[in-house]
Amino acid sequence: MKAAVPMPSISSRLLRALTVWALVWCGALALAVWLAVHEETDELLDDTLQATAELLIGPLLRDGAPAPADGAGGVKPGGSRRFVWQQVSHAGPAAVLRRSVGAPVVPLLATPSPGFSTLPEWRVYGVALGRDSQWLYVAQTTGERVEAMAELGFAVLLAGLPMGLLGLLWLRMRVRQELAPLLALSQRLADHDPLQPGATLGPAQHAELHPVHQAIDALAARLVQRVAQERAFTAHAAHALRTPLAGIDAQLAVALREAPAALQPRLLRVREAATRLQRVVVGLLTLFRSGLELQREPLNLHTLVERLAPEGLAVRVQATQPVSGDVDLLTAALLNLLDNAQRHGAHEVRISTPAPEVLRLHDDGEGADAARRQGWQAALDSQDYEGRMGLGLMLADLVARAHGGRMRLIETASGFAAELHLAPMPDLSQPET
Amino acid sequence: MRLLLIEDDELLGEGLRDFLRADGHVVDWARRLVDIDAYRGEAFDAWLVDWQLPDGSGLDWLRAQRRRGVTTAALMLTARDLLADRLQGLDSGADDYLVKPFAPEELSARLRAVCRRSAGMAAARVHFGDVAVDLAARSVWLGAERVELTAREWAVLEALTLRAGRIVAKSELEGLVLGFDAVLASNALEVHVSSLRRKLGRELVETVRGLGYRIAEAGAAAGPAEAATS
Repeated sequence: MKAAVPMPSISSRLLRALTVWALVWCGALALAVWLAVHEETDELLDDTLQATAELLIGPLLRDGAPAPADGAGGVKPGGSRRFVWQQVSHAGPAAVLRRSVGAPVVPLLATPSPGFSTLPEWRVYGVALGRDSQWLYVAQTTGERVEAMAELGFAVLLAGLPMGLLGLLWLRMRVRQELAPLLALSQRLADHDPLQPGATLGPAQHAELHPVHQAIDALAARLVQRVAQERAFTAHAAHALRTPLAGIDAQLAVALREAPAALQPRLLRVREAATRLQRVVVGLLTLFRSGLELQREPLNLHTLVERLAPEGLAVRVQATQPVSGDVDLLTAALLNLLDNAQRHGAHEVRISTPAPEVLRLHDDGEGADAARRQGWQAALDSQDYEGRMGLGLMLADLVARAHGGRMRLIETASGFAAELHLAPMPDLSQPET
Repeated sequence: MRLLLIEDDELLGEGLRDFLRADGHVVDWARRLVDIDAYRGEAFDAWLVDWQLPDGSGLDWLRAQRRRGVTTAALMLTARDLLADRLQGLDSGADDYLVKPFAPEELSARLRAVCRRSAGMAAARVHFGDVAVDLAARSVWLGAERVELTAREWAVLEALTLRAGRIVAKSELEGLVLGFDAVLASNALEVHVSSLRRKLGRELVETVRGLGYRIAEAGAAAGPAEAATS
C-alpha cells in the first residue's frame, strides 16, 4: 500500500527556515560577542595586573626590609585569594620574600620574567624592583579569569536568546498573518460558484493576489461561456435525438397493433432494439448534462430498480448500506448494465451494497474470463474506452467518475460482477497540518 | 376522449395520432400553433402539447390558455428533461409532463389519469347505480356482467362519465365523440346514445330536452360489478 506523502506547505517551510535562521543568528551573535568580550576582558584583567604591580612597587621599595614569608606582608587577612602578589629574590635560588594572603609559598616563577606569563593556574605579571635582584609578581588565578569570561558569555546568551526567541515568535505570527489572505482566498474559492449569474471573485485585498483573482475570474468567464455552449448543444442534441426516438417507438407501437401475427416477433425485436437505443441515448445525454450539475441525494434502491428491470430479467435488490447519487445518472448507468447483462445471457441480476456508496451488480450470465476482465479493468482505469469495451461499461464508469468514484470489475466463480463506487477515493495528498 | 395533439414532428405526430385513435380516442393533430386556430371553440378532453414548435413555444400557448381561464387537461410532451424545465412546465399549467422518448402506452395511461383527475375522479372505476365504468380498462359492467360496447358507444359513455353530473350539449358531445373532421349523419349521436341505453339501461343517460345529455353524478359505493371483477 502506498504511503501518504505529505504535501509541502508554504507556512511550514517558512517557519522552519525562520527557526533555523533565528538559531544560527543567535549562535553567531553570541559567538561574536563572546570573542569580543573574551579579548577585552583578557586585556582588562591584564591591565589590572599591571596597574596593581605598579601600585605595589612603591610601598615595597619604601619598606626595604624583607618580610617573613607568612603571608601577612602588608595585605589584610581575609583579602582576595584569587588576586595575589609575591616579592621574590632571584639573588640565589628563587625565594619568596613577601607575599599576599593566598599567594603560593614558592615563587610563581623560578627565573625572572618581566611582563606577562601564563602558568597552568595563574596569569602572572612580573616587574623588577631594581635592588638585590628582587622581583614583584602579581598574579590572578586562571579559574577566576575563566569564571569572569563565562559569566560574561552567559550574560550575552541570556540577553541574546530571549531576543532571538521573541523575534522568532513575532516572525511566526507575521508569517501566519501574511499567509492568511491565501487561506481566505481558498475559502472564497470553495464557496465560489462561477456558474451563478454575475458571480466574480471580486477585487483582491493584497496586491500579490490581484493577478490570481484576475486569472480566476478570466477562467470562470471562459467556463461560463463553455457551459452555456454545452447546455445549448445538449438542449439541441436532446431535441434532435429524443423526438425521432419517440416517433420511432410510436410508429412501432402502431405497427405492432396493425401487423399480421407473422410479423409481430420481428417488430417486437425491432422495438426492443429501439428501446435499448433510447436508453443509451438518454444515458449519454443525461451524463453529458449532469457532469456539470450533479444532483446527489440518498437513494432507495428498491424504488429505483423497480422500474428499470427489462422484461425477462429478474432483478433482486439487497441494500444494507446507504447509497446516494444522482438519480438520473444512476438510472442511465443501471439501465445499460442491466441491458448488458440480459444481452450476455443473464436471467437474474442481484444488486447489493457491500459498503457505503458502493453498488454491486452480479448476474448469472456467461461472464468473462480473467484476461478479458483484466483488460476491461485496465481500460476503465486509464479511461481508454474506445474499441476496448461496450457502451454500457463505459457509461457506468463515467457515471461512477461523475460521483468521484470508479468502476471495479469483480472476480466471481460464475456470471459477471461489477461494482460502482460512488464515493471519492481516499485522498493521498493531504497538506501538512 | 377527444384529444388535440400539437406536435410538429411528422414521425412522432403520426405515430401518436394513429396509436391513440387505435385506442379509441378522437385525435386532432395540429403541427403548428397557427393551426390550432382551426379548432377554436371546439371541446377537447385533453391537449397534448409539444414545447418547441416551429412558430413558437407550446408552453407560452398553454400559459395563455390558462390565463384565459381554459381548464382543459394538458400534457406537455418535450425533449427538455431538466428539473427546471419540468417544474416550469408544470407551473405553467400543464397537468403532466412527459419527456421524450416515451412509450405511447405510457402516454395513453397518463392521459386517462390526467382526464380522470381533471373530472374530479380519484379512482379509475366509477359507478352509476348498477353500471360500473372502468376508465383505465376501458370496460363497462352491468351488475356482474361485462357489457361489450363499440368504439363510438364507449366514446359517448366516456365523454359523459368524465362530465358526470353536468349537461353536455349535443354539439359538444358530437365533437368529443366524432371529432372535427367527421362527416356526421344528422342522427349519428342519437343512435349511439340509444344503443347505450339499450345495453346499460334507459335511466343511465338522461336527455335534457333542448340542452343535451347528462349522466348522473357518479356514486362512491362499489357495486356488484366490482365485486364480480375483483
